[in-house]
Amino acid sequence: MQRRKFLSLGALAAVVAFVPANVSAEDYRTTKPETWQAHSVNDAMMKLYGTTTTIEKGIKLVAPDVAANGGAIPVDIKSDIPAKSVAIFQDANPEATVGVYTMSEDAIIDYSIKIKMKKSGTITVVVEGTDGKFYSAKKTLDVALGGCEG
Amino acid sequence: MKIKAKIKGDIVDVKVMAQHEMMTYDVAEKKTGDKNNANFITHINAVVNGKVVFDMSTSQFLSKNPIFKFKFKGAKAGDELVMTWVDLKGNTKVSKSKIK
Repeated sequence: MQRRKFLSLGALAAVVAFVPANVSAEDYRTTKPETWQAHSVNDAMMKLYGTTTTIEKGIKLVAPDVAANGGAIPVDIKSDIPAKSVAIFQDANPEATVGVYTMSEDAIIDYSIKIKMKKSGTITVVVEGTDGKFYSAKKTLDVALGGCEG
Repeated sequence: MKIKAKIKGDIVDVKVMAQHEMMTYDVAEKKTGDKNNANFITHINAVVNGKVVFDMSTSQFLSKNPIFKFKFKGAKAGDELVMTWVDLKGNTKVSKSKIK
C-alpha cells in the first residue's frame, strides 16, 4: 500500500482497473483475446494453444446424448493428466470457446459445468499437459431446444 | 454466491452457484436492440490460504446462474474458501465460505 501513495492519480486509476484481472493465475480473456472471437473449434484452439494437434485419450468427458434444454447442458470433465490448462469448445454457438480452466498445484481435473448450446453439435475438451502435449475428448449431442435465445 | 465446500479425506469438493444473468450478445440484441448490453461472468477463481485452487476464464456460453463444481487438495476443514468473479461490465463479487 505504501507504494501507491507515490503513484500519480492516473497511474492509480490504472492499478485499480487492473485489480479484477489480477486476481487470477491467468486470465485468458486478457492474454488470448482472439480465442473468444474464433468461430470454429480449430480456429479457437489455434488462437489459444497455437496447434490443433491433439492426442485423443486420457480424458473422461460426460454430457447427455440428448439435451432437452440447450440453456443448461451438464458437462463433466475428469482426467489424471498433469495439466497446465483445460479448455472447453463447441461448434453450435456463434463463437467456439466456452471456458478455460487454469490448473494450479492443488487443482484436480474433476470439473462439472453447465453450458449453453444453440443447436445440436459437438463439445471438444482439450487438456494442455505439462509435458507440452495436447489431449482431447469429444462428445456429440442433440439439442432439442436451443439455449442461446434466452 | 452460494458455496458448499466439503472435505473428504484430503480432497475438497466444492459446489458454487453464482447468481448472474449470463446474457449473450444474441439475447442482448434481441431483447434490447443493442448487443453491447450483453453481460456475463468472464473470470472466476477460488483462493484458499492465499493459493489459487480453482481458476476459470469464461464466456457467454455458461448457463444462467452458472454452477461450478470442482475439487482440489491441500486444504483442511475450517480453512476459508474465497470465491471471486468478474463480469464483462467490470462488476465483481466476492463470497467466502468455510470448508466443512
